[in-house]
Amino acid sequence: MAIEIKMPRLSDTMEAGTLVKWNVKEGDKVDAGQVLADIETDKATMEMPTYDAGRVAKIVCPVGASVAVGETLMILAEEGESIEQAVQSVGAAAGGAGESAPREAKTGAARAREAHGKPDSANAATMVKSKSDASAGVAAPVPTSNGADGEGPSGRMLVSPLARRIAEENDLDLSTVKGTGPQGRIIKRDVLAALGRDESPAAATTSKATPPSSAPAPLASAPTALGGKVALSNMRQTIARRLVESKTTIPHYQVSVSVNADPLLDLRTTLNEQLASQNVKLSVNDFLVRACALAIHQHPHFNAAWKGDSLLIGEHVNIGVAVALPEERGGGLVVATLRDADRKGLRQISAETKALADKARSKGLSLEEMADSTFTISNLGMFDVDFFTAIINPPNAAILAVGAALKKPVVRNDQLAIGHEMTCTLSCDHRIIDGASGARFLQTLKAMLENPATLLV
Amino acid sequence: MSAATATTTRQIQFREALREAMSEEMRRDPRVFLMGEEVAQYQGAYKVSQGMLEEFGPRRIIDTPISENGFAGLGIGAAMMGLRPIIEFMSWSFSLVAADQILNNAPKMLYMSGGQFGCPIVFRGNDGAGGQLGSTHSWAVEGLFSNVPGLRIAIPSTPYDAKGLLKTAIRCDDPVFFLESERMLGNKGPVPEEEYLIPFGVADIKRAGADCTIVSFGRPVHFCLEAAEKLAAEGIECEVIDGRTIRPLDIDTIIESVKKTGYCVVVDQSWPFGSVASEVAAQVYERAMDYLDNRVYRVCSDDVPAPYSKALEQAMLPHAGKIIEAVKKAMYLA
Repeated sequence: MAIEIKMPRLSDTMEAGTLVKWNVKEGDKVDAGQVLADIETDKATMEMPTYDAGRVAKIVCPVGASVAVGETLMILAEEGESIEQAVQSVGAAAGGAGESAPREAKTGAARAREAHGKPDSANAATMVKSKSDASAGVAAPVPTSNGADGEGPSGRMLVSPLARRIAEENDLDLSTVKGTGPQGRIIKRDVLAALGRDESPAAATTSKATPPSSAPAPLASAPTALGGKVALSNMRQTIARRLVESKTTIPHYQVSVSVNADPLLDLRTTLNEQLASQNVKLSVNDFLVRACALAIHQHPHFNAAWKGDSLLIGEHVNIGVAVALPEERGGGLVVATLRDADRKGLRQISAETKALADKARSKGLSLEEMADSTFTISNLGMFDVDFFTAIINPPNAAILAVGAALKKPVVRNDQLAIGHEMTCTLSCDHRIIDGASGARFLQTLKAMLENPATLLV
Repeated sequence: MSAATATTTRQIQFREALREAMSEEMRRDPRVFLMGEEVAQYQGAYKVSQGMLEEFGPRRIIDTPISENGFAGLGIGAAMMGLRPIIEFMSWSFSLVAADQILNNAPKMLYMSGGQFGCPIVFRGNDGAGGQLGSTHSWAVEGLFSNVPGLRIAIPSTPYDAKGLLKTAIRCDDPVFFLESERMLGNKGPVPEEEYLIPFGVADIKRAGADCTIVSFGRPVHFCLEAAEKLAAEGIECEVIDGRTIRPLDIDTIIESVKKTGYCVVVDQSWPFGSVASEVAAQVYERAMDYLDNRVYRVCSDDVPAPYSKALEQAMLPHAGKIIEAVKKAMYLA
C-alpha cells in the first residue's frame, strides 16, 4: 500500500505551505522520523518528518510550490512494494501539486484510513498522510487535521541551550512551549513564561523593540495605549487553557458568607504590636490560610480531586495562594503552594507566604513551588472589593474568594453598630461537594474567623 | 580599579602612566632600557618618553633609525643575553616589517633553546586605527599576533591599567606585546601614587550588569561602556568585561559572567575572520554552551582594509551603535 505524504497543518492559521527544500530524492530509502522536507508556513520554516519508513516513490510537489494543506507532496512505497506499484496505486493523484482539484471526485470506492499516531497529539496535526488501498487504485480523501491544536513545529524543535537546560531542571516538557525566537526558537523567556516566571529587565523593553517580521511579536507588557494587538505570552496561554478547562468541565456553584472581621482585625493588631520587634507582621490572609487548612480537617472532601470514577482525597493539606504578578513585568497570575499548611503556625505561614509571593513577583516560582495545591484562596481585599467569585484551580475541589474587611453598619447584640464585615465566597465543584456541604464548610470557617484565638492553637 | 577609584586619587594621562611605569622599572632594574624611533632626542613621537633621556641618559634611552627589523632583532639579542629591553614601535603597523624577529624568533626562543634562552622583552606602541592613517598604517594586530604561542599580549584601556600592566610586562620573562592606542594617550584617569602591578590574565569588570555580557579589549572597551550607558537608559544592564590581556585570556571571568547573563557580545577592533572575538566566542561555546540563550555576537572591524575617508573609517570600526544593536539582537530585543 502506498503512503501519501500530504501538506501538514503546522499552525492553527495555516492554510497553505511552501515547499522550501526536499531533503530526500526519488528512490531514497527513508526511516520513520526522518526529515523529508522543509516547509515554510505563515509563521516559520519547519521540518516535516515522516512517520513511516519506506522508499520515495515519487516527489509530487516541486520546490518552491505553495500547496494547500492536505494536498499530496510525495508518495512513499512501503516495504515489499515497488516504486511503480506505489505510484500506480496512487494513480492520478500524482497529477501535480499546484493543482488543487478536489480529490474527492476521483476517490471512488477508496476509503479513508485512519491517520497514524494519536489523534490528539500535536504530532498528529503536523503530519497528515493516508494510505490508499492498492486494489482501489485511487487515493482516499483525507482529513487535513485531526483536531489537535497544532502547537509547535514538527520534527526538530529549535531550543536555545539555556532554555533547554532550564526546562530540564524544572521538568518542563518543551513540546508544550511556544518559541518566540527566530524560526520559533524556544528561548529563555518562553521557558520562564511557561514556568510562570517572568523575565528580568528586558521584559519591559520587549514591547519597545521592533520584533523581527518573521517571528510572532513578543508579549507587549502592560500596553499603555488603546488599540493594537498583543501576542499571548505562554503564561497567558496557560491561564486561558486551564481556566477554560475549569469553567467548562467543572460544575461550579458559589456560596457566600459574611464574616464579622472585628475580632480577627483586633487580634491581628495585638499580635503585630507584640511581635513587631521580631519582625513578624501577620496579614489577614495568613489567618485565612490557617483557618481554611483547619476547616479542611473537618471537611475532608474540600481536599479532594475529581478522578472521573473516584475521588482522591489528598493526604496533605496544601493551600494555594493566588499571587498577581506586577503589570510592568507582564502581569499574569500564579498560585503559590503552602505545603502542609494545617501543620504550620501563623508565624510560619506568614513567613512562607511572603517569601513565595516575593519570589513569584521578582524571579518567578519553580514548578514545585506551584504544584500540588489542594485548595486555593484568592484574596482581592487589598483592592477594597466587596466580594467576587473565583474559578476553581484544577484539580482542586473548591476555591475561596475573599473580599475586603469593610467598615459597615452591622447588627451586634441586637444593636446597630459600626463594624468590619468581610465576605467570603466559596466556589465548589458540585461533582464533589454539594451545596449544603459548601455551606457547612463556610459555617466552620466563619466560626474560626470570628473566634480567631482558636487559630492560635 | 578599586584602588584607583579611592578618594582623591590624582588623574594623569595614559602617556604619563606609561612613562611612569617605564621610569619606575628603569630605576628599579638597571637591565631595563628603551629603544625606538624618536624616543630620546625628540622626547617620543607621542611624548610618551618625555624627560626620560634626561633622567636615564643616552645609553638607556636609545634613538634608532627607521629600521624596525634591525632594532627589534637587536632587542631580542639583548634580551637573550640578559637585558630587559623595551622596544617602542611608533605604530604596530610598522612592526610587520619585523615580523620574523618578533613572531618567528622572540616567542620561540625559550622553546627552541631547550630552556637556555628566554626572551624577556617588551614591544610596545600604538595599535588600531589612529584616525585617517589609511590602510597600511591602521593595523590592529591582536587578531593576527594572538595566534602565536609563546608571547603575551596586554591591551590596556585606562591609564591605571596601562601602568600596572606595563610594569608587569617589563618584569615578565616572556616576550610581551603591549598594545596602546594613540587615540587614548591623552585620556586621563585615576592612577595612585603608590606602586602597584596588575597581573596578566585577570580581566576587569568595568561595569557590572546582569542582562548581557560584553567582552572587549583596549580602546573599544570605551565604546562598550558608552553603549552600556545608553542601554541602561532602556533598562538593559550590561556587564562590560575588559580582558586587559588577550594572552593569557581570563576566560574564567568571562564564563562566570555569561553563566549569569546568558547572552554574550564580544567587541574587538581586529577583523572578524579568526579574530580575538572569534576565539572568545569559541571558548564561550566550549565552556558555557548550556548557559547561552542565543549565539555569541561579535562586533569587529569590517572585513575590509581600513578606508582613508573619515566617515568610512568610522563605519568600519566598532562603535557604540553597533554594540547596542548587537546586544539587542543577542537578547532577542531587535
